[in-house]
This record gives sequence, C-alpha cells and structure tokens, in this order.
Amino acid sequence: MTWGPITFGAPLALWALASLPVLFLILRATPPAPQRRVFPPLRLLLGLQTDEQSRERAPLWLVLLRALMCALAIIGFARPSLTPEAAAEAQTRGGRTLIVIDDGWTSAPFWAQARAAALDAVAEAERGGGQIFVLHTAPARIPRDAGEAFTPGEARGHFNALEPQPWRVDRAAAAGRIQSVPGRFDRILWIANGLDDEGAQALASALTAKGAVTARMPARTARAVVGASVGADGVTAELRRAQTSSDVGAVTAETAEGRSLGAAEFRFTGESAIARIDLPPEIAARTARVRIVGEDSAGAVRLMPGGAARPTVGLVDPGGQGQPLLSDLFYVDRALSPYASLRRGDVGDLVRRRVQAMVLADASRIAPADRDALTRWIERGGVLIRFAGPRLANDADDLLPVRLRPGSRTIGGALAWERPQHVRPFAANSPFAGLAIPEDVAVRRQVLAEPSAETESRVWARLEDGAPVVTAQAQGRGLIVLYHVTAGPAWSDLPLSGLYVEMLRRTIAFAGRGGESEERPDASGPYVATRLMDGFGALSPADADAAAIDAEAFASARAGPAAPPGFYERAGIAATLDAAGADERLAPLALPSSIARAGLEGARVRPLSGLFLGAAAALLALDLLLSLWLAGRMPRLARAGGAALAIIAALILAPPAFAQDDPTLQLHLAYVRTGDAATDRIARDGLEALTETLRSRTTVEPEAPIGVDLARDDLSVYPFIYWPAPPAPRPLSNEAVANLDRYLRLGGMVLVDTRDAGRRAAGNRGPAAIMLAGLDAPPLEPIDADHVLARSFYLLRAFPGRASAPRLWGESAGAASARDGVASLFVGDGDWAAAWASEGGSGLSGGPRQRELSLRFGVNLVMVALTGNYKEDQVHVPALLERLGRERR
Amino acid sequence: MIDQSRNEAAALAGDLPGVLLEARRLAAAAPGLHGRRRAGEGEAFWQYRDHRSEDGARLVDWRRSARGERLYVREREREAAQNAAFWLDPHPGFDWRSDEKLPTKRRRALVLSLALATLFARGGERVSALGAPTRAGPRAVDQAALDLVAQRSPAPEAPRTRACLILASDFYEPLDIWRARLARLSAAGANGACVMICDPAEEDFPYSGRTLFHEISGRNEIVLGRAEHAREAFAERLAAHRRGMREMARALGFLLVTHRTDHPPAPVFALLAAALSERGL
Repeated sequence: MTWGPITFGAPLALWALASLPVLFLILRATPPAPQRRVFPPLRLLLGLQTDEQSRERAPLWLVLLRALMCALAIIGFARPSLTPEAAAEAQTRGGRTLIVIDDGWTSAPFWAQARAAALDAVAEAERGGGQIFVLHTAPARIPRDAGEAFTPGEARGHFNALEPQPWRVDRAAAAGRIQSVPGRFDRILWIANGLDDEGAQALASALTAKGAVTARMPARTARAVVGASVGADGVTAELRRAQTSSDVGAVTAETAEGRSLGAAEFRFTGESAIARIDLPPEIAARTARVRIVGEDSAGAVRLMPGGAARPTVGLVDPGGQGQPLLSDLFYVDRALSPYASLRRGDVGDLVRRRVQAMVLADASRIAPADRDALTRWIERGGVLIRFAGPRLANDADDLLPVRLRPGSRTIGGALAWERPQHVRPFAANSPFAGLAIPEDVAVRRQVLAEPSAETESRVWARLEDGAPVVTAQAQGRGLIVLYHVTAGPAWSDLPLSGLYVEMLRRTIAFAGRGGESEERPDASGPYVATRLMDGFGALSPADADAAAIDAEAFASARAGPAAPPGFYERAGIAATLDAAGADERLAPLALPSSIARAGLEGARVRPLSGLFLGAAAALLALDLLLSLWLAGRMPRLARAGGAALAIIAALILAPPAFAQDDPTLQLHLAYVRTGDAATDRIARDGLEALTETLRSRTTVEPEAPIGVDLARDDLSVYPFIYWPAPPAPRPLSNEAVANLDRYLRLGGMVLVDTRDAGRRAAGNRGPAAIMLAGLDAPPLEPIDADHVLARSFYLLRAFPGRASAPRLWGESAGAASARDGVASLFVGDGDWAAAWASEGGSGLSGGPRQRELSLRFGVNLVMVALTGNYKEDQVHVPALLERLGRERR
Repeated sequence: MIDQSRNEAAALAGDLPGVLLEARRLAAAAPGLHGRRRAGEGEAFWQYRDHRSEDGARLVDWRRSARGERLYVREREREAAQNAAFWLDPHPGFDWRSDEKLPTKRRRALVLSLALATLFARGGERVSALGAPTRAGPRAVDQAALDLVAQRSPAPEAPRTRACLILASDFYEPLDIWRARLARLSAAGANGACVMICDPAEEDFPYSGRTLFHEISGRNEIVLGRAEHAREAFAERLAAHRRGMREMARALGFLLVTHRTDHPPAPVFALLAAALSERGL
C-alpha cells in the first residue's frame, strides 16, 4: 500500500488504529495507581483534603500522549518506507522485471553503487510482487540463461555475490541472448557502465523492443592504463578515458609484492594522457604493475612482466670443488643471492633453463656448441656478465664488449712505480652513477682494453688513471658486460666491498628488461596463467585448471573468459595479458531517446519503521518518567539519577590513573627543576649516577630520577629531593613555599646545594638565603663526622662533592626532635650532583677517589632519608663500650 | 492473634539482650542518683549525732564515742522502696518505623523504659511491668524486661499499689480516650510520666504525590491526590493534638515528654530520670 511517498509493507497492521478510541477511553478511565503508605497517625489525616483530592481520571494530556504512543507503534509495525521515486513511477502489481547489468571491469570503480542499484530494483520488484530476470552483458565462459526467473530472495543473493569480470562487456551477444527470451517485460532497468561499444545500439534496440527501459549510469566512467614502459628515467604510463570521466588522477608503480615504488600525477587534456614516474633505472626495473590510484578496476592496472619476479641469473660453474673463499663464484653468489634467483650449471644447461643473466667468471674457452647457443641467447635479450682472470688475460675470445690487449696489467707491486689504483667516480651517464665509492677499494691488476673510440663509449667505470674497469656492449637485444678484474678478491678489493654488490645489482637490472614477453621461435607449449586479475585489478594465484593460451594466439589475445588477464608463464618466461588493450576505446554511451536515464546515486528506499518505533519507545520512556512524577516518586529518582549521572561522568572524565607513571608505586629520587637547563641536566645526570650506585650497592633500588616543580607537584611521594641552586636563584612563590613547608613537616628530606664552594665571600646574602626565603626553615648546625650522616651506610669523615671539602649544614637535632632528631633540611655548597655526574671523576681535584667519596655521601644521604636515625645508635657505641669497661673493672 | 502476639514477643525477646545492653549503657551514662537524704531505716551511713537521753544506751555508737568525750549515735539513711511500673503501648502502629535505619517506636520505648528501670533498681526501688508483680534487686530489671515484652494490655490498668507509672506510647488515640485512661490511673493514686514517641515521618510528613495512607491493621485508609499539600494541615493537627495531650497530662499529674526515634535517647532519658527522681524516685 502506498500513501504519497510512503509505502507500507504490512498495511493490515494499520487496522489497529481503529482501536485507538477504545484505548483512549480505557486509559482515560484508569487513573494512575497511588503509592501505598503505612501511616500510624492516620486518624489525624482523616477528613483532610488536598486541592486535587481524588484523581479518578487520568489527565487528558497523559491519555493523549499514550494514545499517540500507540498510534506511532502501530504505524511502525505497518513497516512504512519512504520511496520518493516509487511514488513517481507507475506502480503495477505483479509483472516481470528485467535487470540488465554491465558487469565488465568498466563497472568496477562504482561497483558498490551498481550493486546497490540492482538490489533496489530487486526490492522494488519484491514490493510489486513478480518475477525478476537478470541479464549480464559481460561474456562468461558459460553465459547465464536470461530467460530464467529469480525470486526476490534469489535475486538478492545473486547480486550480493556478483562481482565484475576483468574484461569488457559484449553487448551484441547480450542483445542476442535477450532476444531469445519470449514475452515482454513490465519494467527494464539497465545498470550501464556509461561507455559505448559496438553492441550498445543493438542492445538498446533489443531492450526497447521488450519494454520500457530505464538506464542508470554512473556520474564518472572508468579510465584505463593502456600502456606502460620502463625507460632510462623511470616508468611511463599511457592512460585513456572517455569524456565523461574525471580528468585528473595519479598513477603509481608497484612491485610484485604491492609495495609502491613511486607515483606521478596526470591530467587529461583530451582522451589520453601520459604520466611519467621518475625512478632510477634499477628501481624502475622492479615495477610489476602500474595502476591508477583510487580506481579499482582491472583496466586501471597495467602488468609489467619484467618486474614480476626476481631475475633468474645463471652462474656458469666449471665444476670441481675448490676452496670456497678462493672461488670467484662464491663472491658473486653472496652478492646476488638476495636480489636474484641463482642457478648453477654449464652454459648450455643455463641457456636451456632460460636464465635472464649469466655470470661467466674467467672462462677461457667456451665450447663451440655452447658458444652458438650463448650468442643466440644474448641476441634474444640475455645479459652476459663476465669477469676477467688469468685465463682471459692469456687468451681472449670475442664475446666481449671491447677488444682486450693480451696479458694483464699489474698496478703497484715491488717492481712497479705505480700504486694500486682506485675507482674514479662514475660518470653521469653510467648505470653506476650515484654509487658511493669506498676509499679502500684498490685495483691491483686488470685486463686492459685496446684504446679506441668505440671503447670510450662502452665504458661503465674507470680507474683513476682512466683505464676502463667495467665495459659493456649491447648485442641484439642483449648485453655483454665485462668486469676487468676477477670476480674474487685476487686482483682487486672490489669483491670485498659493498660497491661490488651494488654494481652487480645494477647490472642484472638490465636482465629481463628486454622484450622477454615476445614469443620465441624455439619456445614450446602454451602460455599458462600463474596469477590472474579479478575485475577490481587484484591479483590472486591462478587455479590449476586456469586456461592455457596457445603461443600463437597469445600475442593477439584479448582479455575475455577464454583469456583472463594476469601473469602468464611459458617455459620459465613471464608474460602478461592486460584487461585493457593498447587500442582500448573508451567513449561515452549514447542512448536512444526512448530510454529513460537516471543516475546511479541516491534513489534508495528508506525504511521508516525504526523511526516510528523509536519515537514510540521514546514516548514510552517519557511516559514512565511522567508516571513516576505523578505518583510522587520522582524526587528520589532524580536524586539517584543525579548520583548515577555524576558517577558515570566521573568514570568518563577520571583520568586513567594507571596509564600514568605513578610515582607512588616505585621509589624515585627527585630534584627540583630550577628552570636553568644546564643545572637541571647536571642534577638529573647526578641523580641517575646515584641511582645506579644505589641499585648496584644497596637494597635501595630507585627508579629513574624525576624532576619536580615545587609549586605544583605533590612532593610527599619522594623521600629525598635534591635542590641545586641555579646561577641566578629566585625566591619561591607562595605556593611553592607552602608546599615545601608541608613536605618538610611531613618528614621529607631536602638537600639544598648552593654549588658555590669557596667562591662566595662570607657575610654576603647567598643563594640559600634567597632560595629558602619565606620558608619555615629550622635552625641549622654544622654536620661533622659524628652525625648519623657519616655512618648511615658508609663511614665517612667528610662529604666531598665537586668541592673537596664543602661545608654542610643540617637541621639541628634539637629542632628536629619532633621527628626523633632526624634532620629534614640539609644545606651545603658541595655541588654534589656535578661530582656524581662526572665521568670517572674527571674535572674533580681528587679524581675518581673524590667522586667515589661523593657517591658514598649520596648513598648515606638517601639512607638517612629512608631509615632516619636507625644508625644513630652507633654514635653512642664508644660511650657504651667505655661504660661497660668501667663496670667490669 | 495470640500466636501473632507471641511471635512478636519472641521477635522482640530475641533482641532483648541488645535492648538490655543499650538500656544499661544509657543508664550508665546517667548522673548518679542519691538517696533520700533523710535519716531513716536503711543500711547506708547517714550521720552521727549527739546522744540524747531518750535514745538509750543501745544506740550509742561506741567506736565513734570512744574517740571523744561525747556520746554519738550512728544514724542510717532512710530507705523507702518505691514502685515503678512501666507500660508499653501494644498497638501495632506503635511497633512501626518509616525507615529501616531507624528503630521502631516500641523498641525505643523499651530501651528507655529498661534504662529507667536499671537506674531505679540501682537506687533500690522496685520495678516491674505494669500488671506484673513487683520485684526488687538486681534481677528485677531482667524480669521487668521479660514482662514488658509479653505485656499485652491494650490500656494501662490501675496498679494495685501506689506506684510511679511510666507510660510509653505514640498517644495518637483521641484525647478523650486518653483523658479517661489517665483519669482512672490518677484516681488510683498513680502519677508518673508519659513518653510520647514518634517516628520522624509522622512529624515531618515527607510524602508527596498521589498516596494512599492506611493503618497497619488496614482498617482505615485515605487517598490524597497531592500528599505534599496536606503537610501543613497535618502539622497543625498534630501540634493541636500534642498541645491537648500535654495540658491534659499535666492536669492529671503526669509529666509528658516527646521523643523522636531519629534523635538519640540520652537527652530524653536524662530528662526523665531527673524529673522522676524529683517526684520521689
């Protein structure tokens, strides 16, 4: 049932509204129940009347409120929903609904909207009650029969599971399929991708012949990456779009693992755009795919075969087990194994196994059969990396980038004038450009290239005297690189340095960059999928039964059910098939005027049941409160509610106590933050050293020292506070004085360190006088070796700090009598923190011994702070012994 | 009904040690009582006086007289035991409290009564529950406590002997009824004190909203639409009732004191103890 824009799912429930007047009367006649109270002096109440003596009827407004609540609940149970478009559209009960959906990758960027549109159409058809037919325009291996009808539940499940295909739609075939379905449809919804193709007009006319069509199209259509290549200066991507899509965006180059290597922005001016991602060549070579950022579709991804995997590098192993550290290949192996898959074998074997680069360490003669295979392999793009050695120096072959002079050159040595040569910084056009050259890399021996103009252009690296040390020469699509030294450390230090690894990495970056995906005349077998893309451009391992593509067909294959896009492999060589071809055409969809259009966004059915039921529930809660109020129970409830609210607020607002470092859980030494950075640092370092000493020598195990603010912090948790005088002491604020007074009265201990031993003229107003101004400071007396401070842990005769013989005053025992004579305030000028913090006593006149004594003083001080006069008895021991001795006599 | 009252008595008796303890604590805090301050029959020494000729030789206190040259007679203080009888209102509304934190009116009355009994027994008087045989001595208080708990007389009946009566009730029954009761007691030669104990809710009337008030027995009930509006009228009626009660009691020789169960019992106890000892106890 529909009433304006509101549709009721269960209109019969509305009949319950007819019972409202009866309900109204019943409610009106039922007064709220009174609370019952025992009251012994009831006799005194008898005959008493209040202004609203007997409320036999409930108040009108309460009854109206309750009736409204019931009405809202009834309407809510009738399942109303707001469907503005449903009101506009013709509502016919029953009938056949056809949902046509473009499910190629061109729909993937807005797939959520497309699916929602399909589900809306299903919901609408469900309300109308009728059959639902679904037509997919993307080709499938086994196309669905468009004449098969769904129930709404099935259709909903179907669309929830439906995902876009990683190829484009084939609307001509879809038109053929729908024409074979007999009968007309009452409603046809075409969820289109907004892009034209050759079959679009055919499908449009086929659909209009079957009924009234509404097409829903996205605001922005899909874009595609139609080409990407790795060049000397990075990755270049070619992009295409239709006029209806966004004209700005960014592309990113990613490795096979999905790590982003670099990104670049692009801006369409016409229908195509070029984006360049600047990357060093060896990094660009690792690119496995280029994709448009934020556009998840198979067409927005371009796969790159070169970066798909680590290059396969073959090490030509002449066989025979030598000592590993003297074997040249050992160094190559160690350098390359993190970056490439290494295989060992002889030349023929490696060529057959299709390695992308081959390392040949000082092999003199290559067998003629191997030689031909090697040459062909290089021509097809193989990278041959050769190292020099005694054998090459004696007898060079011609698989070399430059002609070599026979023999080798020894640089330095007992009989030579020259010294071992270093590598010259790499030229800007060298592949090694930018690598840092370690200073200790020296070349002692090398093979020499014949000087020529050609040689000059083939040099990748030189020694300081200009002699080439790495040369390279392209041959066919391949490359021959010669290192003019041995692969091992026999001729140079190069294999022992990190430079060697980097140079080899950059060299093998050329491997696999040549057109390996091109078909090979001597390759055999079909291309087998290894990883395949879904419609959103995500790669996943291919199923075992994934389609294999014949080698002949692969070059011309286009993405489709028979050739899903992704990575393929044939005889160990990776190849790719992309969803968007190089000649992909993207144009806006032009529909005949007989088809109505709508956007994909919005137009959702909004159920209102929850709104109505929620309002009814809110009224119920209000009614509860009002009833309580009428019954006179509100005040107590309000109090309890207030308390509950306060508790909840406190729980929410209370800071998480244990999240902070609670100083009460651990013992910390503390120092006063004076505001002078240097003083504070020395105090902290000094207390850290003292803490360390305490932890290692005593059972007192304080945690890291803490700087305190006298005015603000709660001092009572610190047993001992060190207060160094800053260079310019200032009187304390009133709060700080009060806080410190309280701390001293509580039994805390403060050591005030004026840090000016021997500097201050007597009688002057010193730092301590300024710092303690206003404080209720107790009378002080000089501390001597008889004080408990001198024997609380170590037996001390003096209390040296940075000054060897500082003065130290403490609260007099008489003044501290309230605390059993334990002094709470010490004032001295020893600059103890500096002594504690000094490295091994440096800067102290007494050296390490003085620092040790000062640390002992610190330990004693903390002991007094923690144990009070526990050791005071020791002071009396001599007297006791003397008395005992006297009695014995 | 009998079973019910027995149950109630048992419940109260179960708490009797607590009540007794509370009563003793209260009595211990009271100022010490003194004796009759007159020479008479008794055991306590009162004074020496000069021997008079009519006394005869037998009364001479030779030990005292030997220390001087004159003859002395030892006099003892007069000790005349009084009867103190207690009555608690057995009305169910009296055994009620508005809040779990408060004692019931009856329990507070019991505490006060036993505290007075303890005090009187210590002074050598005879104490008893009204209607039960009187006893003297240290066990008198315990016996009085048991009798008080079991006491079920709906109205105080006149004692057989002359006695000081301590009547504890909320005195909510109509003035006429109480006038008749007190007059009967007064005519029998009794005087004493009326302890009017009330619950705070009965004085403050903290009710609001639509409320049905009923007695514990459930015989009467009244519905007030807005109970808070009846507060002042109730307070006036209560004050009038108390005023009438007080004047009537004074006229009939009874002292009337009021007490709220949320107040500590010590002040009213001290007041009662002082007032009653002035009346000869």
